[in-house]
Amino acid sequence: MSKRVLLHVGTPKTGTSYFQDVLFRNQEALEPQGVSYHAPRFDYHFLAALDLMRLPWGGLEAEAIGAWDELAARVRAASGTAIVSHEILATASRSQVARALESVGHGAGAEVHVVLSVRDLVRQIPAEWQENVKHRSTLSYATFLERIQDPTRDSRIGSWFWGVQEIPDILNRWAHDLPPEHVHLVTVPPPGGPPELLWQRFSRAFGLDGLELDLGTDRANPSLGVPETALLRRINRDANALVEPEHYRPLVRELLAHQTLSRRTGSPRLALPPDVHPWVQELSASWVREVRERGYDVVGDLDELLGAPPAAGFADPDAPRERQVAAAGVDAITALLLEATRLRQEEARLRDELAAAHAEVERAHLRPVYRLRKKVVHRLERGSGRFLIRLYRRLRGLPVDAG
Amino acid sequence: MSRARAWGWIAHLRDGGTTPWADWSAPADRADRVLPGAQQLELLRRLNLAGRPSTALADRVLATSAPGRGRPDFELVGADEGSPFGPQPVDPSSLPADELVRVATGVIAEDVVAGPVPERTPRRPRRPRWRIVGDAWVAHTMTEAMLDRRRWPGGPGTVAHVVGTDQAAMLVDAWTARCFAEGGPPWGEWLDAVLRRPVPPRRADLVRVADAWAGRLGRSRVRVVLDPALVAGLVRTRRPLPVRPTLPAAGVELARHVSAALGHHVVPARRVALLRGVLLPRLVGRPGPALVVPPDRAEQVTAMAERHRERLLAAHYAVHGEPDLLLPRQHDGAAEPAVDGVLDLALALLLDHQTAPEEAHP
Repeated sequence: MSKRVLLHVGTPKTGTSYFQDVLFRNQEALEPQGVSYHAPRFDYHFLAALDLMRLPWGGLEAEAIGAWDELAARVRAASGTAIVSHEILATASRSQVARALESVGHGAGAEVHVVLSVRDLVRQIPAEWQENVKHRSTLSYATFLERIQDPTRDSRIGSWFWGVQEIPDILNRWAHDLPPEHVHLVTVPPPGGPPELLWQRFSRAFGLDGLELDLGTDRANPSLGVPETALLRRINRDANALVEPEHYRPLVRELLAHQTLSRRTGSPRLALPPDVHPWVQELSASWVREVRERGYDVVGDLDELLGAPPAAGFADPDAPRERQVAAAGVDAITALLLEATRLRQEEARLRDELAAAHAEVERAHLRPVYRLRKKVVHRLERGSGRFLIRLYRRLRGLPVDAG
Repeated sequence: MSRARAWGWIAHLRDGGTTPWADWSAPADRADRVLPGAQQLELLRRLNLAGRPSTALADRVLATSAPGRGRPDFELVGADEGSPFGPQPVDPSSLPADELVRVATGVIAEDVVAGPVPERTPRRPRRPRWRIVGDAWVAHTMTEAMLDRRRWPGGPGTVAHVVGTDQAAMLVDAWTARCFAEGGPPWGEWLDAVLRRPVPPRRADLVRVADAWAGRLGRSRVRVVLDPALVAGLVRTRRPLPVRPTLPAAGVELARHVSAALGHHVVPARRVALLRGVLLPRLVGRPGPALVVPPDRAEQVTAMAERHRERLLAAHYAVHGEPDLLLPRQHDGAAEPAVDGVLDLALALLLDHQTAPEEAHP
């Protein structure tokens, strides 16, 4: 049984991909140092979260069957500290949380801690909209903002957004049965600070200080600028009906968004519209007050959740500068041309291989031994030797009949 | 007090009570770590109104969060801890039926997973050797009937019978077959997308199916059969073959929900076997109107059928039945599944298939 279990349950867009990649790459190094992070594949904890919460995810849920129970069993079997980390756990219901806590040993001897990494809504709101666009959404920024401001939260957007972002509610669900000192909030530093500061905070919250770890990783969730996101949304509008999800992911999300458009760092960045700032400020202040009163362990500074004031010159992604969108479009076309070229070259290579294989088969057919065998088989099939042929094929594991 | 009132209501519901939350006042001690959500509690109340759920079923309903994406578990209005955070608490009786259906399908999926899938021993195909393909739902129904008659498909000299019917019915069949397989979007949304395309969907495109089988067997061994009643004669079985099971629109919609929930329990191939081998027999013959294409889509469906007919004629396959049989006909039924009907059906299914009747409330 693990002595200590750290459940990192959110929130998205808080450096979680980087943190999980460090853990994933250092599994073997962590084990002898008393820290268990069981992940046979990078997205294993994501699959476990999908399984726990019965969430569909473009067919990936079929790979997730039983993943939570398996992960929980590994956690229980670990001897020191065990870590579970995925940001979509933030949206788990109370009964799912109860099952999760129980399955990792809460109430049965394990000391369970919940860790929530958090970032100000000033950055989270545009980041969530952009994430939606990268997942085929065609919703305008204005509509997205309307949906999340609707107090009924009836829409899918509103329901999901607050499920993974409303810090006091996430902690109501995940931490109501834990002492406050077992609940840790890691705040994401404001932009412009030292890049290693966030890792240092994660390291402290998870007790990794002083452990030898390889921190070098290129796994990140890169962000897009205003014209790039506007372009992607237009592509979604036209291509969603034509491009199946299994092709969208490598071609649009990976090739266009992550590998091409995210490299255009000179374009205006997505931001919160100035008129939404007062509402966000008020809401964030209420969260900070609430969390402070609850007495959780805070790694960082709760005031960082208030976010930066509105920057001058807000660039509206619903009305982008067309020249900037066109420039992003040219980059996208170039990337697609390069990919098409690579695929054509691959196709040509495969054609050559196929032609060589055909030629080899042809040569084999022309050999006298083959022709003799063919004649024998033909005769047997027409006559009383059919039984022998079927027997031979059965023994060789070959198909006996056609149709 | 507000929490105690909620625990009191839960105890009442566990005892088979049907009093709505708004009319409840008696308190009780806390009985579990967490209060179930309003959806789960209201579903149990509806089950109590509809019949006598067992203790085991009540426990499962209260412990099951709705699978899939949607609204989270709600707190009961008046029983929440006054937190200004999280979704607004609700009066459970005001919850829309689809919220209750989401919870119910999670429980039904567990029942279906537990159900045994009927298995058949493979037999040697007899002459005339056959396959029935085409309209996916009709082909499935007829193939199952043939298997019941110990007639196994395939073998040397197989003839593929590409069975079809009028285009409107084939669209309903295609969506039905999908609901009893991988699931997918709701009927209206699916139909919108399908009618925007020039050719029918894969499961209702006879030409595409015929081409695929011609590639495997040769064109001479492919027959297109536009009158399903002719199939029995072509495969030489004496009794007529059933065309499709009698299913209410609500049953198909429920299968769509259960399919999504089953995706979290079993791999896709097993899901199809469970939906068709376990869930389908439980839904066949249930009351309610069958699903039909909405009348305002008739023009689009006719245009699709005409294009389908032209493609079929141009493909020069052997065709049994008049090509005009592809043109849509008027069918009586529901233009879309009613969500209240889906909930009623889900309740009936849960009550009819409780595993341990002796555990029912006294």
